[in-house]
Amino acid sequence: MASRKKVLLKVIILGDSSVGKTSLMNQYVNRKFSNQYKATIGADFLTKEVTVDDRSVTMQIWDTAGQERFQSLGVAFYRGADCCVLVFDVTAPNTFKSLDSWRDEFLIQASPREPENFPFVLLGNKVDLEPRAISSKRAQQWCQMKNNIPYFETSAKEGLNVEQAFLAIAKNALAQQNSTVDLYNEFPDQIKLTNTNKPNSNGDSCAC
Amino acid sequence: MPTTPPQISPVEEQEKYLQDALGVVKAQAFHMKRALDKNKLMDALKNASAMLAELRTSLLSPKSYYELYMAITDELRHLELYLLDEFQKGRKVTDLYELVQYAGNIVPRLYLLITVGLVYIKTNSALRRDLLKDLVEMCRGVQHPLRGLFLRNYLLQCTRNVLPDSPDSDADNPEGTVRDSIDFVLMNFAEMNKLWVRMQHQGHSRERQHREREREELKILVGTNLVRLSQLESVTLEKYQKLVLPGILEQVVSCRDAIAQEYLMECIIQVFPDEFHIKTLNPFLKSCAELESGVNVKNIVISLMERLALFSQRSDALGNEGATILQQVQLFEVFSDQVASIIANRQYLPPEDMIALQVALVNLALKCYPDRIDYIDKVMLNSVEVFQRLGLEHLESNSLVAKELQKLLKIPLDNYNNLLTILKLKHYAGLMQHLDYAGRKSLSIYILNNALDNDTIVPTQEETEQALNLLSPLVNDKEEQPLGELDLEELAEEQCLLARFIHQLKSDVADDQYLILTAARKILGGGGPQRIKYTFPPILFQAYLLAYKYKEIKDEKWEKKCQKIFQFCHSAITTLVKAELAELPLRLFLQGALAIDQIGFENHETVAYEFMSQAFSLYEDEISDSKAQLAAITLIVGTLEQISCFSEENSDPLRTQCALAASKLLKKPDQCRGVATCSHLFWSGKSLASNREEAHDGKRVVECLKKGLRIAKQCMDVSVQVQLFVELLNHYIYFFEKGNDQVSVQVLNQVIGKIKEELPNLESSDETDQITKHFNNTLEHLRARLETPDADGVSYEGLEL
Repeated sequence: MASRKKVLLKVIILGDSSVGKTSLMNQYVNRKFSNQYKATIGADFLTKEVTVDDRSVTMQIWDTAGQERFQSLGVAFYRGADCCVLVFDVTAPNTFKSLDSWRDEFLIQASPREPENFPFVLLGNKVDLEPRAISSKRAQQWCQMKNNIPYFETSAKEGLNVEQAFLAIAKNALAQQNSTVDLYNEFPDQIKLTNTNKPNSNGDSCAC
Repeated sequence: MPTTPPQISPVEEQEKYLQDALGVVKAQAFHMKRALDKNKLMDALKNASAMLAELRTSLLSPKSYYELYMAITDELRHLELYLLDEFQKGRKVTDLYELVQYAGNIVPRLYLLITVGLVYIKTNSALRRDLLKDLVEMCRGVQHPLRGLFLRNYLLQCTRNVLPDSPDSDADNPEGTVRDSIDFVLMNFAEMNKLWVRMQHQGHSRERQHREREREELKILVGTNLVRLSQLESVTLEKYQKLVLPGILEQVVSCRDAIAQEYLMECIIQVFPDEFHIKTLNPFLKSCAELESGVNVKNIVISLMERLALFSQRSDALGNEGATILQQVQLFEVFSDQVASIIANRQYLPPEDMIALQVALVNLALKCYPDRIDYIDKVMLNSVEVFQRLGLEHLESNSLVAKELQKLLKIPLDNYNNLLTILKLKHYAGLMQHLDYAGRKSLSIYILNNALDNDTIVPTQEETEQALNLLSPLVNDKEEQPLGELDLEELAEEQCLLARFIHQLKSDVADDQYLILTAARKILGGGGPQRIKYTFPPILFQAYLLAYKYKEIKDEKWEKKCQKIFQFCHSAITTLVKAELAELPLRLFLQGALAIDQIGFENHETVAYEFMSQAFSLYEDEISDSKAQLAAITLIVGTLEQISCFSEENSDPLRTQCALAASKLLKKPDQCRGVATCSHLFWSGKSLASNREEAHDGKRVVECLKKGLRIAKQCMDVSVQVQLFVELLNHYIYFFEKGNDQVSVQVLNQVIGKIKEELPNLESSDETDQITKHFNNTLEHLRARLETPDADGVSYEGLEL
């Protein structure tokens, strides 16, 4: 249909604290990297314009706090995501172990239409560091078990594989959106909500 | 603007309200997007406005409101994209910024204004500085806390990509500089913080808990401002020191709200990099001291220390300039001073928090300055002073402060894994005294286990004394020890640990080792009868080993030294005797006699005789149980058989004494076995008379065995009798094969005949089976010898099997 129209894709990055979620996003969007560690609080996004298969796409990349205590309002931003990026640190085994719970939590909270087909992408970050704790084979095995999730080994520091990974993310997200667009089209005329000026239900006299 | 207090709706209604609102959003968003597709901007704006009007609700909890806000702002992005597209194509909609201000309600109006403003900025960066200022000012129009907080969060989110981030060299640039961004975010931060703090003071006081929970949920919105500041690349260390941090701290301190202060200080620590913190420790920590009394300053300071300790480790690993920064700043001193001032100035700080601060200090020192033991000692001293000032002693084991103190005392141990390093801490033992008895005991066990696990060798007398004094709750009785029955099982477990540890008190220098052992004996001797029976044996065995060592090195006075060692041993064993122990000292005397014989220093015969005779008198006076008696006499005989240093005048009485003692045992079977054992004394026993060769007194051997046979015959139980015969037969065979001419084949035939006569009369039982088997094996042996005699062995000719 509207190929002239810009597509908006929502991508969520999840993973334990200090695996490099913010760094990956910054490397991809701004091509910058810093060794300084700054914790992320809550969640916010950066946008990036890309062209995927001749379509102009705006990627909205949500960077999230890996520490639960910095998500006091919950994870409402999961909803409407087109792709979920899971990140772990190849030198920190615990961050790999957490992947299952991040994936499960996402599927529960975001409740996508077809959870088994929802696109995930796995990134094993910090491949520039030694010693490695999680081999690429082990990560790939995990991906196979989860319905063949694409896997990339990245280094946000050196920009290694970051571009390729996000392109794959964009493609998967786009495919996801196209597959659900039909359902979306059936939506309009069945719900008649003509009265847009209905009185405010809250009974608050405040004008704001 | 006056606002009505927020109505609190029950949970089940929340879901309904939210679903209703989301339904409206979905519908309006659909119409909005359709209008956009048809290029009907005014219609789209109307739909957007209607959608945004849902955010005016007062019915939703923060979490539900957040969900609604997310759904709406997701949709709003489509409007933004459309506008951006149109603007970029050059199709400017004139006065759009003014146009959206006609929206009837302020909440939708401001959301639209921000959305449009952002598109203006993106398409014409010259407007950036003025528009940012304008937007952050306009948002003041919403003073309802929840709505205001989310509105400003939207502002913060939308402007993320457009905040000017160039160094502020050209101040007149209409695009703005980082300076403008700092002002913009700091202002937004101050306004959001005010809204957030105001929530605390709205509504009924009985709803305080509920309100505080809601505030707790909303905190990340306020904190996001700090995140934004930390994301600005042109915020250099200098700008952080001069503008950013003072701006934030001023707002934090002046808001006088405990919840806000605690959270925001924590936020500062988390979102800004370590390099900044290290250079701004003083202003930050000073502000900590100015916080409201309800603020848990401990957590804040600890969180900062923990972060910097981690940083230190990370930079060690990476080897970057972080390590150099750490060198420049006296991290430990700064924190130590600030901790001291917090403890001194904050009135309601509980003691456990004071100690928790010391724990964090120790962690910091260990991670950043692993070589500076003096730092650790300083913390120990500080803690002692804290307790003295508070007049706290004998902290009850399960109190919070005692638990913190345990933690404090265990960290250096866990870190160094070296008891000797702990002994270097002058104030460690003194600090430990502030625990109660149970606490000190459990810590002592912890220390002991650490020393055992790490095989820590204690190489000097001084350190031995220090270590044992540190472990004093295990070493001796304490007045404050709880009264009542001593748990013997528990005691045994502890004392076994201590006994294992004694083997680690050792020096390579023999003379030092002697000093160590005397020191240990002196201290451990205070433990009383229940303890020394565990702790003295390892000391004695160490002492015997030391004597062997002297024999090996043979220095000038080695013989005198050996004599001294055995005097020391003698006195230690006598102490055990005085503690009403018998079997243990008997064995230790015998072990000593063996050592003395082998070492052979000057005058050793006399000493060895003394040890043997002491063993004898213990046997005679103290051991009354018949089983124990047999065991004891067997040991004495075995020992005597090994010893070769006695002249005839000493060895003869001892041997005779053994034989006599054996024949005086109470039970006949015991007598029989004892006498048979004694027979060996006269064969393989050595003495000076026999030139340290085996005595081979065949006559007396046979006398013993004959006596054995006689006694065996006196046994009423036939089964026992036969068993003894079989045993005696084996003795006879042994001596026969050794070439004792007093044992003849005829004697063997007699004994065998006797057994064969009695054996079939025994009732069948397990015992009988055993005896039969023993006997058959013996015959088997004899048969083998008969068929294939040794070339130089004795002849079994005439044996009747």
